Amino acid sequence: MSRSDSFEADAPDKWEVQLRKGCLELAILASLWGKKLYGLEILRRLESDADLTVSEGTVYPLLSRLKALGLLESEWVESEAGHPRKYYALTAAGRQRAGEMAQIWSRFSASLGQLLAPVGKGR
Amino acid sequence: MTPEDSQLIEDYLGRLRACLRELPSEDSREIVEELRSHILDKASEGGVTREGIASVVAALGSPKELARQYLTDELLVRAQKVRTPWAVVHAAFRWARLSIEGVLVLIASIIGYIFGASFFLAALIKPFNPKVGLWQLEPDSYQLALGMTDRTPQGHELLGWYLIPIGLALGGGTILSTTHLAIWMFRRFRRPPADWRLGPAR
Repeated sequence: MSRSDSFEADAPDKWEVQLRKGCLELAILASLWGKKLYGLEILRRLESDADLTVSEGTVYPLLSRLKALGLLESEWVESEAGHPRKYYALTAAGRQRAGEMAQIWSRFSASLGQLLAPVGKGR
Repeated sequence: MTPEDSQLIEDYLGRLRACLRELPSEDSREIVEELRSHILDKASEGGVTREGIASVVAALGSPKELARQYLTDELLVRAQKVRTPWAVVHAAFRWARLSIEGVLVLIASIIGYIFGASFFLAALIKPFNPKVGLWQLEPDSYQLALGMTDRTPQGHELLGWYLIPIGLALGGGTILSTTHLAIWMFRRFRRPPADWRLGPAR
């Protein structure tokens, strides 16, 4: 196999990895749009509403990063389970950022969708 | 929950806490408490069993790897806020353990800061030791040396007292732009690991 062949074969996987990396932040911000949630609820929300399975080892550090960047705020709330839970909510900056990202996403996917329609049918 | 079950959880959290030593204690306490609450919640979903707890803990990954993700992000965010050379190098050092982009930023920032600091230092020392300067080692050669050198008899100093303003400007400028570039790289290239996947289409 020549060098260019193997590069071509790898390309779709690498592209998908890049795509996933870029979207997780938006998915988390969007999951908090309606109300505040704690970590496990966010994970469940991504699974149930978006069919996204994310490892907790990725989500918790990312939540703390988004908080440090001022996009999320958090508070501890006592639960009936007997231990407190850390709830996250969007800050004003986080709400604005989520809105901007969602708009870019929708515009991009609508314009690309037209282009992709015949490609999908051809398979 | 049996004492053995609690022990399993405390062992994991204890190892995580040890790996998070570099963080302010307030931050590391908050991380540990949040994960404790996660483990208790997730384990109780299926009725608390020893296996349940073990699998929840396993799903979090090794304490060392988890701590690395937290530390890198905390240090990068702090570097963006305080913008000091020390914070930038510290964060890049952490990031370098996770990815090749981190290694490149670490090397570039160290070189940039050493270069900048040398000019800065030379300008500061000049009033006390006039032999400090930018020396051309041989006539018509491009070999330059910054500092105090009379290694070669034909050596000749290029800047004279101008070393002070030029050194301060060039040194300060290099340090500032190194910080700026490193932080731009952090924003541009630092991403969480891509370990999530799309489920089957409904």
